Parts: sequence; C-alpha cells; structure tokens
Amino acid sequence: MTRAVLRRFLRHPPGVAGAAIVIALVVGVGVGPILLGLSPTAIDHAVLGYAQPPSARHLLGTDLLGRDVLARALDGGRVSIGIGFTAMLVAVVVGTLYGAISGAAGGIVDAVMMRIVDALFSFPTFFLIITVEALTNQFALGMIVLILGLLSWMGVARLVRAEVLSLRDRDFVEAARALGVSQARLILRHLVPNSLAPVIVAATLAIGDNILAEAGLSYLGLGVQPPTPSWGNMLQDALLPAARNSPWLVLTPGLLIVITLVAFALCGDGLRAAIDVAAEQSAPPAAQSEAA
Amino acid sequence: MAYILRRLLGAIPLLFIVSVISYALMGLAPGGPTAIFATQTRRMSPAARAEFIHALGLDKPWYVQYFYWLKNLVLHGSLGYSYVDNRPVIAKILERLPVTIEMLSLALLFTVLIALPIGIYSAIKRNSVFDYAATVLAFASYGMPVFWLGIILIDAFAVQLRWFPTSGANSIGGEGNPTDRLYHLVLPVATLTIVSLAAWIRYQRGAMLNVLGELYLRTARAKGLTEGRVIFGHALRNALLPTITLLGLSLPGLFSGAYFIEYVFSIPGMGYLGINAVFQRDYPTVMALTMLTAVLVILGNLAADVAYGLADPRIRYD
Repeated sequence: MTRAVLRRFLRHPPGVAGAAIVIALVVGVGVGPILLGLSPTAIDHAVLGYAQPPSARHLLGTDLLGRDVLARALDGGRVSIGIGFTAMLVAVVVGTLYGAISGAAGGIVDAVMMRIVDALFSFPTFFLIITVEALTNQFALGMIVLILGLLSWMGVARLVRAEVLSLRDRDFVEAARALGVSQARLILRHLVPNSLAPVIVAATLAIGDNILAEAGLSYLGLGVQPPTPSWGNMLQDALLPAARNSPWLVLTPGLLIVITLVAFALCGDGLRAAIDVAAEQSAPPAAQSEAA
Repeated sequence: MAYILRRLLGAIPLLFIVSVISYALMGLAPGGPTAIFATQTRRMSPAARAEFIHALGLDKPWYVQYFYWLKNLVLHGSLGYSYVDNRPVIAKILERLPVTIEMLSLALLFTVLIALPIGIYSAIKRNSVFDYAATVLAFASYGMPVFWLGIILIDAFAVQLRWFPTSGANSIGGEGNPTDRLYHLVLPVATLTIVSLAAWIRYQRGAMLNVLGELYLRTARAKGLTEGRVIFGHALRNALLPTITLLGLSLPGLFSGAYFIEYVFSIPGMGYLGINAVFQRDYPTVMALTMLTAVLVILGNLAADVAYGLADPRIRYD
C-alpha cells in the first residue's frame, strides 16, 4: 500500500515538483543561516538609515533598520515553517483523537461531539484566532502554535470520524473486540492507524494554512513579535509607508510565502491522487474519483 | 419544506454552542474591557468607575454575564449596547452590513465566472500544460496573504497608476452614488476574487473529472455525437451540480477574507467594525458579529443544500 502510493506519487510531476520545493525550502532554512553566517538581528551600521537595495554585501538588501534581508528571510523561514508544522501536529493530534472517539462512541456522544464541530465550522476561524490572540496578548511562539492548532483541528476530526465509521464494522475491528481489547486500545491501535491516509493530505495543506494565518496575525501586530523574524512580521515591516520604495522588502517574504504554500498544496494534491488510486486498486472497484 | 424547517431548528443548538464558546473565550481572556475603561475613565472617581462597571455587569463572572446576554436576546431580541459609544449594536452592524454584502457578492460572482470555465477546461485537458498551469495558478492564488495582495494592488493601481482610489467605500460627498461605490469596490473585489479562485477551480475540476469517467458519456460518444455535444450537452450540467455545495462551504473563508480586505482598504464594513471591536474589547459588538456571521454561514449552507436538492432530482432529503 505504502509503496504503491509512493510509486503513484512519483509519477505525478506537479506533486514531485512540490515535494522537491518543500525539501529545498526546509534544507535551505535549515542550513542556510549557517552557510550565510549573518545574524538576522545584527544591524549593519554602514548602511543604517534607509533600506538598501540588493548588493554583493547584502544579497537581498537590508531592511529599514539595516538588517540583512536574506538572513532574516532564512531565519524567518525557520520560524514560519516551524510554526506551520508544529501547529499542524497539534491540530492532527487533537482532531484525530476527537474524531476517533466520536466515531467509535457513536450514538448521542457522537451527535453532540459533531454538533460542536459544526458550530466551530460556522465561525470564520480566522476571526476567532484574531479574537483569542488579541484578548490573551500572548505572543510566545508556543502560544501562537497552540492557538493556531487548537482552532484548526475540526477538519481532521471530520475526516477521521468518517474513516472510523467505515472501519467500525470491519472484520479486524470485530476480531479485536472479540479478543477483549479495551476501547482505548481499539481506538489507538486499530482504528486510528487505519484512518490516517486522508489525514496526511489534510496535514500537508494545514502547514501552509498555518503559515498564512501567522502572516495574517502579524499584519495586525498579533503574530511573532520582533526582533524574532518570521515571514509574517517581515511583511508587516515591509508594509510600513517608509518601505514604499523598497520592493525587495515586500517581495522577499511575500513570494517565499506564496512559493511555500504552492509547494505544500502541490504535494498534498499529488498525495491525494496517489492515495485515492491506491485505495481504489486495493479495494473493490468503486466509482472513479479524483475530487479535489 | 419539512426538511428546511428541521434544519432551521437544528441550527438553534448550533448557534447556542457558538455563543457559549465565544462568550467563554472572551470572558476567560485576561485584560477584558475593564482594562480599557481604566484609561477611558481616568477622570472618574474610583467609586463612580466601580458603579459604571457594575452597571455594565462586568463585575460578574462570565457565565452570569452570558446569562444576561442570552436573556436580553431571547426576551427582548436585543443584542445589547456597544461599550465604546453606547449605541445599540444592531444599529452599528446594520449600517455597515450593506457594503460588506455588496463586496462579498460581487467577489463571489466574479470568482464563479472565472473559476468554473478554468476548472472545466482543466479537466477536459487533464495533465496538459494548461491543466498544470491552472493548478499552479490556483494554488498561488490560495497561497497569497490577502493583505499582501491588497497592498500590492493598491500600490500598483491606486498609487502608481492612479486608476482607482486607495481606500474607503465612497468619495467624500459620493455617499449613495452607486457608480462611486462600484469604483471604490474594484480593487477590494479584485483582491477577494483572486484569493478565492483556488477552491472553485480545483473543485470544479474534480467534479468535471468525475463526470468525464461516467459510462453515459461513453454511450453518448458511441452514438456518434460530436465531442462538443458530449461535453456541453451531457457532461457540463452534471459537473456543475456538486459545485453548488461549495457555495455554502466557501462562506466562512469569504468572511475571513472580507475582514482583512476591509481593514486593508479601510472600507467601513462589518470586518472593519469587527477587527476594531476586538481591539477595543467591545464585547457586545464582537458577540453580535460572531452570531451574525454564524447565522449567515448556516443559512448559506442550507441554501446550498436546498439548491442542490432542487437542481438534482436524485437527491432526496428526508
């Protein structure tokens, strides 16, 4: 199953391109700062005063405070992708447990738990995130990760619940029950691992969504706080009127965000196609589908 | 009919959960409205301030405040008064609703008009260069921070080219003039349309691909129909159906986008009001906006489901 998915995935050029870009970005922000050797917060006093365009000394120029934009973009990438990834993990863990418990419990518990998900879905989630962030005024990285993660697990919960419902009456679950496996063990060892395929796709996309959400929060001054760089707060700086004539400040973090999101989306799309087809080939023939 | 009624009744517990969650979030958060009042009411004596806070019920725990809020809503149909200017919240919202609705519906219209043909053509030319390009473009549009795109468009078309105004929903003195309003809405609607394209293109492409795999198309081709007749006569109509459901699903995202766009373009709509209300801890306004959005989203979903049922006689809700 896994190898079939991988083989299908590799035959889908956009997905492979997306994966390649993701790997390049992660490696880039991982080792880039070490290779570059410039501090993202050091101020170059030689060019202090106004933002400098790209030069040999500063490959992507400097920002309004004379800090190297490339160094900040690489370090900010670590922060942004890091937030995106960890917040996704929070959402996947919460959503998977919630969905699995709801699906396995069934009946009134399931109905109540799913109504709560429906209710959370009818919020514009982003407004909720802004509200919580503005009211708590907590801008530590861990807090931003928690808030993003805890307000975005509902999609995963729905996916996992749907999978669990379809698994609940399968023979292997029946067999596990007959062997006297406890409910908790049944959920964690049997139901959850078998319902993760669609979650992987959702998780890939969630990383990008979180990066975007952090950028939005930063625009309102509610994201990662300076001097720690993130792509979001770099954009916020770049949108100041003083940066009007310095397009490299606006374009660097903005394009990095767009490229990262496109890469994750292509990856997710390729994975979805690969998983769908693999599932169809190992299961009895169902209606052909490549719904996006 | 019975179905619609049951769905509407089902929305009541949903709205109840939404209201409890919002109220609890605000009530449990540190630094509530009293902290803001501390600066606004600097010249009041401590006793007068305490009385003021007591009069607003802010000295009670959040669940007691919530109970009062709910009682006022159910018994008097009142959403309360703004902490900031003491006006009825409902009046503040109603005067800001039209411009938001105008912007959202125009953006939705353009999104649909642009995205559906691209999605359909992508599916027909699956795995072609056009398909890949449309995919990448769709993802790029989804990957753009809304405010970033908005500011770039403002810089290009308002500041450099001076084709459109930079902000606002009307010129001074142009209130109530529809042309003036449309002129102001061009850039915000363009921004919102661009970032909304992705979902519609992908969804329509998926729906069309599903239909293209159907046996009745093979039958149609076997009858000797031209490819044009097959696509337009047989495939298209069935491929457009599932997309109706996206109408409801896309509403929360549209509202989130609207909050940003109104903030970026200084459009005095619901989103602008909402973000400012959050920053000012104007809880009654925040609550009312949250509830109103939730109601609109729920109604949107219901409308989409009903429309789907009407368009596709195979779907029966009971």
